[in-house]
Amino acid sequence: MSQTLLSKWTRPALAGLLGLLLLSSFLLPYTVTADEGVLTIGNAGEPQTLDPHRYNLRLEETLLNDLFLGLTTFNAAGEIVPGAAQSWQTSEDGLTWTFKLRDNLKWSDGQPLTANDFVYASQRLQNPATAASLAYFMYMVKNAPEVNRGELPVSALGVSAPDAQTFVIELSQPYPYLLERLLYPTAFPVPEHVIETHGDNWVKPANWVSNGAYTLADWQPQAFVAMQANPHFYESVSIANVRYLPVVNEQSAYNRFRNNELHVIGSFPVGELARVKANYPDELHLSDLLSMMYLVFNTEKAPFNDTRVRQALSLAIDQDILTDKVLRSGNKPAYSFVPDLIADYQTTPLLHIGKARAERLQQARELLASAGYNNSNPLKITLRHVSGVEGKKVNLAITGMWRQIGVVANLQQAELRNHFADLRQGDFDVAWAGWVGENNAEHYLTLLQSDIGNVNYGRFADARFDDMIKTAQQLSSAKQRNQQLAAAEAYVVDAYAVVPLYTVSVRRLVSQKISGWQNNLRDVHQIRYLSWSD
Amino acid sequence: MTRYILKRLVFAVVTLFVIITVVFFLLRLAPGGPFDGERRLPPEIEANLKAAYNLDAPLFLQYGRFMVNLVQGDLGPSFTQKDFDVNALIRAGLPVSLRLGLGALVCALLLGLSIGIVAGLKPGGLLDTLLMAVSNLNIAVPTIVAAPLMVLLFSVTLSWFPGGGADTWWHFVLPALALGLPLSAEIARIMRGGIAETNLEPFVKTAKAKGLKSPRIVFRHLLPAASIPLLSFLGPAMAGLLTGSVVAEQIFDLPGIGRYYVQGALNRDYTLVMGVTIVYSFAILSFNLLVDVAYGLIDPRIRIAQT
Repeated sequence: MSQTLLSKWTRPALAGLLGLLLLSSFLLPYTVTADEGVLTIGNAGEPQTLDPHRYNLRLEETLLNDLFLGLTTFNAAGEIVPGAAQSWQTSEDGLTWTFKLRDNLKWSDGQPLTANDFVYASQRLQNPATAASLAYFMYMVKNAPEVNRGELPVSALGVSAPDAQTFVIELSQPYPYLLERLLYPTAFPVPEHVIETHGDNWVKPANWVSNGAYTLADWQPQAFVAMQANPHFYESVSIANVRYLPVVNEQSAYNRFRNNELHVIGSFPVGELARVKANYPDELHLSDLLSMMYLVFNTEKAPFNDTRVRQALSLAIDQDILTDKVLRSGNKPAYSFVPDLIADYQTTPLLHIGKARAERLQQARELLASAGYNNSNPLKITLRHVSGVEGKKVNLAITGMWRQIGVVANLQQAELRNHFADLRQGDFDVAWAGWVGENNAEHYLTLLQSDIGNVNYGRFADARFDDMIKTAQQLSSAKQRNQQLAAAEAYVVDAYAVVPLYTVSVRRLVSQKISGWQNNLRDVHQIRYLSWSD
Repeated sequence: MTRYILKRLVFAVVTLFVIITVVFFLLRLAPGGPFDGERRLPPEIEANLKAAYNLDAPLFLQYGRFMVNLVQGDLGPSFTQKDFDVNALIRAGLPVSLRLGLGALVCALLLGLSIGIVAGLKPGGLLDTLLMAVSNLNIAVPTIVAAPLMVLLFSVTLSWFPGGGADTWWHFVLPALALGLPLSAEIARIMRGGIAETNLEPFVKTAKAKGLKSPRIVFRHLLPAASIPLLSFLGPAMAGLLTGSVVAEQIFDLPGIGRYYVQGALNRDYTLVMGVTIVYSFAILSFNLLVDVAYGLIDPRIRIAQT
């Protein structure tokens, strides 16, 4: 019986299998391996869009900075320099900014780029139909929130083009950090003539037109984004072809760098740091990132509405131990909520910094006792953090530090999105949070404003602090504004709404085949500043 | 027989419908939404986004709209991969996953069959013990452990193969091996049993007595008879390869649909997760259906019992 069955079934099955295999070789498209002439970079993940008005992620900014050029831009050292604008001036009251564009600016299809393109782009960003998730980055522009809410037409937006080379922005209140805000893709120009023809499909490689040093050559989802030099860019570039690969996993990035598949990677596993220092001293680029990792207390919830409890928990945490003994990855301990990396600004460190540990613990125990907690009635809390090695290590160490003052803390971890979704809803006691910000104190301090919305995770509210921030926001001089912000930080420091922990250190590896790489606080590296080492 | 097949077909369609419905509503229960990013999301902007993606409509209406589009073959726009729709993403990712799955199947068959045959010819011998030990290791070590070790050895240390990506055939060798090894062990065990058992059958003895050469006996007489149990095993195993590729795709940075599945779930990309779920379910149901039908054809008892 088996003899007849097998001749009936094995042969067709085997033939079918072979057929499938053959078919697959025709079905599946092939691409050539990245050759020597292509700069291949491991990016932290897959971009969700390359439309500068619809983007949201830092890893998308990396690509958009090569594809587009805003009014201002970064140099290799990450400093703000003229981009599409060659110069600018501000009115006395700080409300009107006039930008003079470079001569002969062109889109990558050779069409002239004028101030009208910036007007169109500004209006498109705020148009509710664009559904730009970061439209609020430019809410300081006159009427922007109203336009974005659909209450005013886009023509009411405070932008204009008196002539082809002059672009004027009117603000609703002074914003001295505007030049920095213009660095973000939300302020990039987009090609009206292409968008009007192709609609949402303008971002496809076949239709792509942009004004940066590079244009989009190809995008295979989850495989790579390929760029090539823009022939109409006002400067020539050294590296003609670039590929960004989404490499989410740090270990994979590290392996592929070691196997010479990637020239640059954004990060590698922290446990490899010692080995990397020994084996790749010239490739390693460790640099501080403008950022703040902190603990936030749910100030609406007892007992964290009690300043004494928050102060006690803050006193027990030793930032130096976290960075030097626990993480050991080059992160800098943070003693103030505003990172001390910020230019022209005087931070206010936590009041107990510099005191001996024993003294701090003693004070913490006394504070807890006065709040009604002792050995027979210990304070029990849940500390929430994002799952992952770093989060686990840091927060485990923190619970250990709290145990020294008799606090019993449980750890609860969640995947990134769940974590922050719960934080926004106020569903936590104490939680680990992070913020990668701009080079100004306002970007950090406003997180504690009562009306900022749900990024003030702890629902911290202090009327006087709010007033101080609002006063600062009326000032058009950056210097005066920074002083007022510093005063607000000094005022709020003894409220212990948050516990600053550390600023992030970026661990990059850059092949020696590449030169021109400069570490900088924003970790921005436009390809046009790089070259082959020959 | 037609009735039997029709019945299985209806059952498969109903199952698919139930899966789609359950997953659709389960997804909405997960905290957070597709528009939560790294940054602040003011309420008016969330409103704009929800309007743009029709997420402001009541849930049952969204479900209705999804089903109507699905019937027309449109899986809708991806909520997080904003420059692509789900159909385009699956068109790009499925060939990669298929190539990986087929590669793994070939590896598994080549390895499994050879080990199984050699081991089964002399059960209890030294070669059998050795080969089965290797096979047991392959079953015991999951892809998630084997794959990184393979990268470390063959990419980083020896630099024979790339550690990730899908540019050429070369890129698929390691992932296909990593995914195929556990399966090869199962195939080896099934084959070994089949060969050893068939080897004692009278018709094999006859063949030997007639003075046929060993290779001819193996390939002409032993192999076909011994591979019947393997056939029924391969149906579900192929579905397993497709879904099992999720891990391999993550480790080897392969742009297949398994990676979308993980990214989509983490990013709350409702439509993308739905799309991949449908592809996976369809694959599993099809393979099961094929096996059911094959059983029915081979064994009349099943046909009678189930109609």
